[in-house]
Amino acid sequence: MFELTLPETREGNKTPEQLFAERTQRMQDALALKKPDRIPIQLGFGYMLAEMGGITRQELHENGEKEMELLEKAALYFEPDSAMGLFNNPGAALAVGDRMTKFPGHGLPPNGSFQFVEGEYMKPEDYDAFLDDPADWAIRKYWPRVFSKLEGLSLLPPLGIAAFGTYALFQLGIFKAPPVAAALRALGDAVEAQAAADARGQETFQRLAKLGFALPLFVGSIVEAPFDFMSDTLRGMRGIMLDIHRRPEKLIAAMEKCLTFQLEFAINFRKATGMKMCFIPLHRGSDGFMSLEQFERFYWPTLKNMQEVLVENDIIPFVFYEGVWDQRLKYLAELPKGKVSGLFQFSDIFKVKEVLGDVMCIAGGMRNSMLQAGTAEEVREWTRKVCEVVGRDGGFVMTTGIGEMEGCRPELVKVWVDATKEYGVY
Amino acid sequence: MSDELVKAIADMEESRALAMVKELLANGADPLAILDDCRRAMEIVGERFEQNVYFIPELILAGEMLKDISAEVKPYLKQNVSGKKNGKVLLGTVQGDIHDIGKDIVNFMLDVNNFEVRDLGVDVPPEKFVEEIKSFQPEVVALSGFLTLSYSSMKDTVDAIRKAGLRDKVKIMIGGGAVDEQICSYAKADAFGKDAMAAVTLAKGWIGG
Repeated sequence: MFELTLPETREGNKTPEQLFAERTQRMQDALALKKPDRIPIQLGFGYMLAEMGGITRQELHENGEKEMELLEKAALYFEPDSAMGLFNNPGAALAVGDRMTKFPGHGLPPNGSFQFVEGEYMKPEDYDAFLDDPADWAIRKYWPRVFSKLEGLSLLPPLGIAAFGTYALFQLGIFKAPPVAAALRALGDAVEAQAAADARGQETFQRLAKLGFALPLFVGSIVEAPFDFMSDTLRGMRGIMLDIHRRPEKLIAAMEKCLTFQLEFAINFRKATGMKMCFIPLHRGSDGFMSLEQFERFYWPTLKNMQEVLVENDIIPFVFYEGVWDQRLKYLAELPKGKVSGLFQFSDIFKVKEVLGDVMCIAGGMRNSMLQAGTAEEVREWTRKVCEVVGRDGGFVMTTGIGEMEGCRPELVKVWVDATKEYGVY
Repeated sequence: MSDELVKAIADMEESRALAMVKELLANGADPLAILDDCRRAMEIVGERFEQNVYFIPELILAGEMLKDISAEVKPYLKQNVSGKKNGKVLLGTVQGDIHDIGKDIVNFMLDVNNFEVRDLGVDVPPEKFVEEIKSFQPEVVALSGFLTLSYSSMKDTVDAIRKAGLRDKVKIMIGGGAVDEQICSYAKADAFGKDAMAAVTLAKGWIGG
């Protein structure tokens, strides 16, 4: 547990309203590739909140009020421009018996880290059904497979029967069958859990805004590169890599499908909420997973197209370039200039600035490992270099390469944030 | 020995390779020679992986072909055969982390480079590593991790090995998604490898081969 002594006055003796306006402007300027007054800092505390608060990660996930309290305290102590806590909580996943996630205290020790359990949840022989009607396949075949409490949905008639007008009503009796009814109840529980989580999320950012903190870049809709969409929760790593060789045409056709409905989702989300950001975490496109030739055929075309269409619809993609993208930066330079943003984990951040400085707002710059295992001098010196080189002429948001700060030492985080404020002034 | 079979496997011609194996077996070919062809093909796959010609799709497909061919050949084998290995490597993803992609690639590459690998899987507690060092007696221990959580698990594992009095018996390498040099000194491991080839180079440097 880390004892926080909150400072008596806020940054620059300003009011929360002034701070909120300034910080929001700072983030907006960086996003638009303009030069703000100084480099904005975003902290995604994640499990670091549990460490600082002396509670288990399970409690952090499940006690929303406690999480909010710890987040506010941490934000006030470090005074970044924007802050966030956890990405997700287990409510809906537990309600449906989600087999593809593990949360602390549920399949993991109370202090474990949330993880995905990847599997081949979609089999090679499912491709035809997926291509024919992804929604019908997902609800009647896939959900019963991945969500243990929704197994009853496999008893539903083909969903196309819904188009049978008054005759479709003849089929409604199936909803009374015990397994289907149980699935609907579980779904209802998940709806309640998710709605509560959404409300808590909203309240969190409202409370942070009242304290003077801008909205993090992560907040908005979430979609995936079509290749990752097919890989992460459907075919799994082994399956998708075999598909590249065994059924390339089907894979490409499936990617086109999930490009279309994901775009419709993100555009509708933008219209309904007014929120401009769209988070796209990437997984299998980085250096090392596939050859450049395969990348050009299977990964990049739909990801590029996705970002272009989002931009056309006044949405700013915030893309997490996980891993190393050093060999692929030239492709990223094809994206609409000044309209996209990217968080870089392990790429050479100086090279990223050189190649993409006039294309996208760059986020990142600090390695999580340095905040855990480095020294104060090292952190200060590195921060100075990043501010000077990557921060040059704006278009940069300082943050950790991984947007989750478990294990980071508070005293080093303080040194880093303070050094950014010192060296990051334009 | 069939150069054509070696080429088919190495060039990722899956159905052709499998058809050739069936034909060879039906015509009374030596099953051991077929397995030897597989080994030669896997060496080529490993080399192409090192040269950045092949990537994960090819490693996985090669693994599939090897499995399918072995299954075809097995009924024809009279006894199990195993050659002399370069040395032993104990491998696993550290406690709290269930990622296996990087670990599996390291396994594949060490295997094609003739190391005997014992893979403990994922989420391996420190005491399990200690226990297996005692029974398997590897020269090298390789710790994998993807999550930032693995930093402290790696440290704990090295610590447990030291406390068990086994630290000078093994060389310890670490690697994986979020791991770097800094974590190597933090965890007090002997070396950090940025990819599977680095793991092979390190193992060869320590053991020879």
